[in-house]
Amino acid sequence: MIRNALAEAALTVAVVIAVVALVLVPLALTQPDPMGVVTTFLFGPFRNLRYLGNIVELATPSMFCGLAVALILRAGMFNLGVEGAFFLGGLGTVAAALLLPLPAPLLAPAALLVGAVVGSSVCVVPGVLRARYGASELVSSLMLNFAALFIGLYVLNVLLRDPAAGAMVSFKIPADAKLPKLIEGNRIHLGTLLALLACGLGAVYLFRTAGGFESRIVGANPNFAGHLGLAVRNIGLRAQVIGGLIAALGGGIEMLGLYQRFSWQALPGNGWTGVTVAILARDHPALVIPAALFLGWMQVGGDLVARNFDVPNEAVGLMQALLLVTVTAAALTRNPKLLRAFGARTGASA
Amino acid sequence: MIDLLGLVPAILRVSTPLILAGLGVHVSSRAGVLNIGIEGMMLAGALAGVVVSALTQNVWLGLAAALVSGAVLAAMLSGAIHLLRADLILSGIALNMAAIAGTTLGLFALTGDKGISGSLPSLVLPSLTIPLIENIPILGPILSGHNILTYAALLAVPLVALLVTRTPLGLAMRAVGENPEAAAATGIPVLRVQVTALLISGLFAGAAGAFLSMGYVSWFSQNMTAGRGFIALAADVMGFGYAWGTLAAALLLGATEAITLSLQGFGVPSELLQAIPYLVPVLAMVIHARRRKLHEDD
Repeated sequence: MIRNALAEAALTVAVVIAVVALVLVPLALTQPDPMGVVTTFLFGPFRNLRYLGNIVELATPSMFCGLAVALILRAGMFNLGVEGAFFLGGLGTVAAALLLPLPAPLLAPAALLVGAVVGSSVCVVPGVLRARYGASELVSSLMLNFAALFIGLYVLNVLLRDPAAGAMVSFKIPADAKLPKLIEGNRIHLGTLLALLACGLGAVYLFRTAGGFESRIVGANPNFAGHLGLAVRNIGLRAQVIGGLIAALGGGIEMLGLYQRFSWQALPGNGWTGVTVAILARDHPALVIPAALFLGWMQVGGDLVARNFDVPNEAVGLMQALLLVTVTAAALTRNPKLLRAFGARTGASA
Repeated sequence: MIDLLGLVPAILRVSTPLILAGLGVHVSSRAGVLNIGIEGMMLAGALAGVVVSALTQNVWLGLAAALVSGAVLAAMLSGAIHLLRADLILSGIALNMAAIAGTTLGLFALTGDKGISGSLPSLVLPSLTIPLIENIPILGPILSGHNILTYAALLAVPLVALLVTRTPLGLAMRAVGENPEAAAATGIPVLRVQVTALLISGLFAGAAGAFLSMGYVSWFSQNMTAGRGFIALAADVMGFGYAWGTLAAALLLGATEAITLSLQGFGVPSELLQAIPYLVPVLAMVIHARRRKLHEDD
């Protein structure tokens, strides 16, 4: 068992390395100093504490979104509202922080709570429509992402916009609502600890509670779950509510941790990164942490290459896309021949 | 306040990419392949059209390149789900990610600019004026003078309807979409049918992209599809499985967008209007799903 699981993990790692090389090497060869590109990408992010801080900073929202996607996918639901929930969660949190007349110690938690509830609607509405009418949560959540964007921009424009600022941004987030910084010299904030905590709690929920167990049964085989007498629809909906709350909380924490004002004019893309993170983590809440850190490392590496060479950081987007396909590709990561090559016992049909 | 007659060409203009891409989604969905990657295929088509028309100074080669690049991405999606056996939805998301990144890299490699293709002397697809008809007072401006792809999109609707409902391929597609195992059991080559449907879908997406960068505007800019592929997905959902339904939905959604554009500057909250094309499909889906459920409960 363990041997086969290790083989599977090793094969996944090999696929990941192959993908990074597949994008990085050709792009590096277009430059006069190909080795420089490769070493900057691979080792640059570890060169100093500031870059390491950037990795953690980028991984924080990915952990929230990756956890949200993982919990939703585990219940067999395909709700892509995480992207919109993250956006609207950020907006709702900033709105609450600006409008609620609360004293300092209460302001941030209250604002985050408001943001989480408001933002989660992007996941909850498709969930309800699925549970009640059987409408595809996939398509409706894709639509609602954009609806959330434009309704959010309307609220920003009408309610929160600072006329003194040049661009369409909100008033400054009150200092009382900001999340405290953890380490001097970089931007890592309390939200990172909350993200780690959330992933830990997510793992406990999924593997050590009745609710998580139900959700895994429904995800693995809804018909079987129905025969067991489980309330399949409600369990699916519950996963989407929890996922929406987590993603929206992530958006709020991102705002209170890193931003001066709400300034997103488009969907920020963290939800899509969350999908990649969840897939890399094989929908395991604890593995979301290394997966998010890995993607953070890729982003910092890509940014460093973009700053020092003529290679735009969109190369990282290409890697992410390839990872999403190859890691879910049964013909690669479930291939018995390849698994055996990585040490699995024969007959492994994982 | 609004010039209603003047709005007709605007609606057709805005609806053209939605009709084309909507038909693309329609065809692949009949064969049971929900083409989430339509957005990325459009983006690739938009860039290919601009680049090839600029390099060859031939607008038709540009259009052809757009169609081909849409189909190439469709072939890649097919390779991912059929050969690598990756998940359809995740592969579609990945295709969209890759298209945004890839087109930006491509544009940067060619022009040194990541944002816009302004430095490329790309061409624009011609508009068609219909002799005689263009001189009729009110009908003239409604029927004549549109981009050639607008006419192509409108003509494609009955053709796609015929393809899906009246040809052996269409029948096979619908059988595969309904139940692939049963279709395979009757001897239908499921794989070939799905690949064909996806390739057709890619061609339509490429055409939609070409219209955006060689008709709607005359340049390529980063992520210029801006969610239109998803509206096209919605148009297919709202069309309830009929090509004519997809056309009606695309026109309705396009009209909303055109009205939004024409209301800008009148103090109407344009952001709220922009949300409508994404809210209407959800409503339509609920109505559809509810009716189906009532039907099943009987």
